[in-house]
Amino acid sequence: MATITERMAPVLVLWLAVCLSGTWAVDKGNFKTCDQSTFCKRQRALKPAESPYRALLETMELTNTRLTLQLINDNNKVRLLLELYRLQGNMTRVKINELKPLKPRYEVPDVLIREPPTEPLSLLSQDENGVVLSLGAESQRVIVSAQPFRLDIMEGRDVLMSLNSRGLLAFEHLRMRKDTFSYKVTSTVASVWDNIKRVFSSQVEPEAEKKEEDDPANQSETTKEEEEKVEDGMWEETFKSHSDSKPNGPSAVSLDFSLPGVEHVYGIPEHADTLRLKTTDNGDPYRLYNLDVFQYELYNPMALYGAVPVMLAHNAQRTTGIFWLNAAETWVDISSNTAGKTVFGKMLDYVQGSSETPQTDVRWISESGIIDVFIMLGPTPNDVFSQYASLTGTQSFPPLAAVSYHQCRWNYNDQEDVASVDAGFDEHDIPYDYIWLDIEHTDGKRYFTWDPHKFATPKEMLQGLMDKKRKMVAIVDPHIKVDSNYKIHNEIRSRGFYIKNKDGGDYEGWCWPGSAGYPDFTRADVREWWASMFAYDQYEGSMENLYTWNDMNEPSVFNGPEVTMHKDAVHGSWEHRDVHNLYGFYVQMATTEGLIQRSGGVERPFVLTRAFFAGSQRYGAVWTGDNAAEWEHLKISIPMCLSLGLVGISFCGADVGGFFKSPSTELLVRWYQTGAYQPFFRAHAHLDTPRREPWLFGPENTALIREAVRQRYALLPYWYQQFYHAHRTGQPIMRPLWVEYPQDPATFALDDEFLIGKDLLVHPVTEEGARGVTAYLPGKGEVWFDVQTFQKHNGAQNLYIPVTMSSIPVFQRGGSIIPKKMRVRRSSSCMMHDPYTLYVALNPQRTAEGKLYIDDGHTFNYEKKEFIHRRLSFANNILSSVNLALDAQFTTQSWIERIVILGASKPSTVTLKTADGQESQLEFDFDASMSVLTLRKPGMNAGVDWNVMLQ
Amino acid sequence: MPSDMHFHIIIAAVFWCGFVDSRKIRGISSSYKRFYRERKSFLCIDGSKIIPFEQVNDDYCDCEDGSDEPGTSACPRGRFYCTNLGFRPHYIPSSRVNDGICDCCDASDEYNSHAHCQNTCWNLGQRERAYVEGQMRTLDEGLQLKQQLIEEGVLLWREKQAQLRELQQVAEDLQIKLEEHRRKKHEADRLKEQTIKALKAGGSSLRRQNRTVSSTFKLLDSNKDGSITVDEVQAKVALVHDEEQVLSEDEAVALLGGGHQMEITKFQYTLWDILTKGDRVKIKDTHGAPGSLLGEDPHLKAADTAAEWEATNLKKVEEAYETVNMEISDLRKKLAIDYGTDWEFLFLNSQCYKLKVYEYTYTLCPFNQVTQKSTAGTEVSLGRWGMWAGTPKNQYSQMEYENGEPCWQGGSRSTTVTLTCGTETALRSVKEPSKCQYIMDFQTPVACQPVLKQRGIHSEL
Repeated sequence: MATITERMAPVLVLWLAVCLSGTWAVDKGNFKTCDQSTFCKRQRALKPAESPYRALLETMELTNTRLTLQLINDNNKVRLLLELYRLQGNMTRVKINELKPLKPRYEVPDVLIREPPTEPLSLLSQDENGVVLSLGAESQRVIVSAQPFRLDIMEGRDVLMSLNSRGLLAFEHLRMRKDTFSYKVTSTVASVWDNIKRVFSSQVEPEAEKKEEDDPANQSETTKEEEEKVEDGMWEETFKSHSDSKPNGPSAVSLDFSLPGVEHVYGIPEHADTLRLKTTDNGDPYRLYNLDVFQYELYNPMALYGAVPVMLAHNAQRTTGIFWLNAAETWVDISSNTAGKTVFGKMLDYVQGSSETPQTDVRWISESGIIDVFIMLGPTPNDVFSQYASLTGTQSFPPLAAVSYHQCRWNYNDQEDVASVDAGFDEHDIPYDYIWLDIEHTDGKRYFTWDPHKFATPKEMLQGLMDKKRKMVAIVDPHIKVDSNYKIHNEIRSRGFYIKNKDGGDYEGWCWPGSAGYPDFTRADVREWWASMFAYDQYEGSMENLYTWNDMNEPSVFNGPEVTMHKDAVHGSWEHRDVHNLYGFYVQMATTEGLIQRSGGVERPFVLTRAFFAGSQRYGAVWTGDNAAEWEHLKISIPMCLSLGLVGISFCGADVGGFFKSPSTELLVRWYQTGAYQPFFRAHAHLDTPRREPWLFGPENTALIREAVRQRYALLPYWYQQFYHAHRTGQPIMRPLWVEYPQDPATFALDDEFLIGKDLLVHPVTEEGARGVTAYLPGKGEVWFDVQTFQKHNGAQNLYIPVTMSSIPVFQRGGSIIPKKMRVRRSSSCMMHDPYTLYVALNPQRTAEGKLYIDDGHTFNYEKKEFIHRRLSFANNILSSVNLALDAQFTTQSWIERIVILGASKPSTVTLKTADGQESQLEFDFDASMSVLTLRKPGMNAGVDWNVMLQ
Repeated sequence: MPSDMHFHIIIAAVFWCGFVDSRKIRGISSSYKRFYRERKSFLCIDGSKIIPFEQVNDDYCDCEDGSDEPGTSACPRGRFYCTNLGFRPHYIPSSRVNDGICDCCDASDEYNSHAHCQNTCWNLGQRERAYVEGQMRTLDEGLQLKQQLIEEGVLLWREKQAQLRELQQVAEDLQIKLEEHRRKKHEADRLKEQTIKALKAGGSSLRRQNRTVSSTFKLLDSNKDGSITVDEVQAKVALVHDEEQVLSEDEAVALLGGGHQMEITKFQYTLWDILTKGDRVKIKDTHGAPGSLLGEDPHLKAADTAAEWEATNLKKVEEAYETVNMEISDLRKKLAIDYGTDWEFLFLNSQCYKLKVYEYTYTLCPFNQVTQKSTAGTEVSLGRWGMWAGTPKNQYSQMEYENGEPCWQGGSRSTTVTLTCGTETALRSVKEPSKCQYIMDFQTPVACQPVLKQRGIHSEL
């Protein structure tokens, strides 16, 4: 799907002309730099120094579950309330809010799957300088220093993380507007109303001021100081032609984190940048603000479509994470330093022997809301994943078909077009599961409708696909055409479900349909109503094999500031400013709920979204937006999806072939080969590009693409099992190597190769005209098997692999067992009952282990224990299958048709023993040159106990 | 019980035959049967491996080429033969065997799946036969029409050739005429020049001409009484350096040789001399100015008219020549286009065909251009005639129209027209599979090709 400037609503032509002026790259001028975002500029102007904040230890209250403490800013006497929680699973939550805010400040709801369960905090010691609290068994402590205020989290003698150690805690308290001198009286009634409201709400003020008077500091001085600090942009801000009325004034929050011993930090997607985050000293901070960026540029910190405010820090000893739960515009500064050079507390000086320890300093700045941070203390990468998953949930378990191949284009023009593309796949014997319809399928960009000419009989079309066991995805965007003949619009308007503008009317912006309203998805009742629109009797022409795609949900507003919504738009009692990064999250949440409800809670949904936030993993898949048909975009798809996987969003992919522009045949083939090994595998193309269905580039390239797609389908049992695992544990599917080899620094910055699960290593070819690639195979003492040639390679080496156009360098880890289905058919559900081939790759100790997960592939019945989950293990020359889920019940027709043992020696006999005690000899074939033993047709059912003995 | 035994053997034999037919050689065509003769072992058709015969169609792939599993889905590169009695037999990939989707119309591919496949071969066959018959009828009719069109084409071609020759003849004639007229015009121009030269030669030549003296005299003699008076001189004569000032009576009297009037004879030797010298006084009225004397000159008038006449004539001939030449070049250009081996496509030239698709009306003018007109009324060029772009076997199966209106993202609109056999000449469909790339289906009898061999259909059941 495209951004803004592309689609040519005639009304937009003028605007387009301005926007399109010439180049292919993003027009950076359309998006704010930190300097142009006044709160960022203000906050970033603060330099590390002694913090003006002081902890008032006498206000400390310690209950079983939390510690509270007041902080005071000695400059302005405003008090904050610090809350500290020890959470189950080795996490610490730090919450800072104003003690008495003028009005409530926004706290992000719905992202945490529940109120995180706490564990008791105990006081270890206390003096006038601070308190020390125990964080449980592992000699972990939190030290609260009083003046200046800082927090240090320690384990033994090591500082794991310090907060406010650079004194950058800043909290712009809500205030009355006092700069009447520069106040511009606006003519709108609403502004007057705002003023009236402000006057009334100020009645709480005296109380707060009374409190301040208790403090010995001079009151009049405080006021003066505050007046002096009134800066441009605090109460009104303009960007290009857009003005932000900022009725609440300045409200930013900021906090610094120091990570001693850390040189590698990751996460905070979405950015088109390397996996390892860069320092931001010489440029803008990384920005988190969901935006529809037209033709985004690579390797820079600009904000993109989604935002997950989670950062992981890693060194060879430990992995930790910071989850900054704030949905407002956020900027993250990263700098690298040594511990000795920073302003560091006495505690640290005492415990830290060397001053040469590398250190990474991080600083988060958000425009509004509160400080609510979850510090995930690991210590292993998998611990951090499960810690984060315990907060925001895990990847939703998609239907098997969604893990398969998707064919998309803006647009398949009509039903005939859909039928002929569908037939093309059969004619060229290339499997696919979903064909997609972009915005042109609708009746004038009215979602939930069909073009009456081009898609006159959608059910007929869907039935045609269903007959081939295939499915469809149709787009449903959140901008709703303002048109009194459009049912959806009328309902939303009459129910008052639209987001409001600052003056109280329905907010209207330009998007694909022209003038459009935006439902307020932050409201539960709106989401419920939206979900009900997906019912089969509401969404005319829909059937159970029709799924949904939410695009433009940043939200994209063509004529809004930075192509998104005005920050002073109103969501009930909150401003859009407070909730912006949540909008896309809620849209997908409501849509997903709709797909679940329409089947009475039976069928698993599949919804793709472009905008996302922390927790979006619970609702489906994301893709990296409107990329381009360029080699660099192919390369960046790897770190972009790796970064998303690290913060819980495993179901990630990039448009295969590149959205904008037309790929060379070589690039298209390489992209298929790469996409076949990424979690979400969908080809997509812009309306203005020539057709690029896989068979349009000559028989040779058709064969190459067919082979790549077939490799994906053969591996579906493994992929599906990875999704199940991700759903259960929160571990990423597509993983950076360091996640599995956390002690090997050679893996820390790798982002041109990756693991799927822990057993497959993929190094896609992403260079034009490549003759070879150099892959790093990790693991000292481990071995890796080339999945095509079965050649064995040692771990802990850089391996040069010569490549041809058909090569996709993929390696199976010695010590693993991977199930495949070798009978690749035209869609995944056609392969449902097919037999398995087990690939057993032996490690030097001649053992191997793997899993086999089977269920019906599309319902929630797995939650009712209707699945098969088995452990496959090879040891002492015996390969066996044992049940991992004794209480689960499921039967399958699938059987084991072949077992391929890599790195084997030749046995004299092979005996299969099944649970009923029956023994039989198996035929086998041994390839001595590659040490590959193939057991012919063992034939046992995949769901039962068995073992195979080599003698 | 020998008879009983015998019976069993027969039964067994019958079953065995059925067995072999239904299982062992499932998925092969009769021409492949020889590879699958019941023996102890089976040789993969590519010769790569020998396996026990029991392993043929045992749902495990032993042969690299998939030949041991023609009837199952076990081999990735295998193929399954649908016999499809009553319809067309064909191969499907092995992966479609027992995949729950009916592929063979005889349902033979789904012998072990949940799919409930009906044998639809007879219906399909009938439908196809009807279709093929229809096609054949169309083809026959089309070919007849084509023959007519070929004949017409040949005639048209000849006609056009004749037209060309005619035009060329006309052009030649015009060429001759043109030269003649150029010569004539040249002469007339020369004559005119000479006349002007003669007139401009000065007063001396004017003086010698009595008629000029008398005409000047007449001009001055306003009341036509045969003598010039002071009043008349004052009215008509002015100083050379000051035209505005009226001559005084004394000056007029002086010009009249001291008298108050003057006869023509006296005028000829006095005032006429002064006037023709032209250094002191001149005749006031522009009509009487010495320059206008040229216009008044009948010789000059005649010469001028003649020159103009000749110029007009020449222009007419030139225009005619140009028109004819343009027609010739147009015709040559048209005739240079490849209209097929028998000029069968020639008749399409100068025709246009329209089709409305949704809100657009498309117009194909073969060998000229393709346009699209929206209901809003703007017309956009989708390409001008480029070339034939069919297969090497039949290059006349496709036309390419290029360089239409430029596109939003660069490049220009183009249209590929596929020609198919039909009894009428008409535009059947227009699509835009990619932005700015149009494809049209254009039906015409001239696209009909005689078929040498018909596709085989089982007519038996």
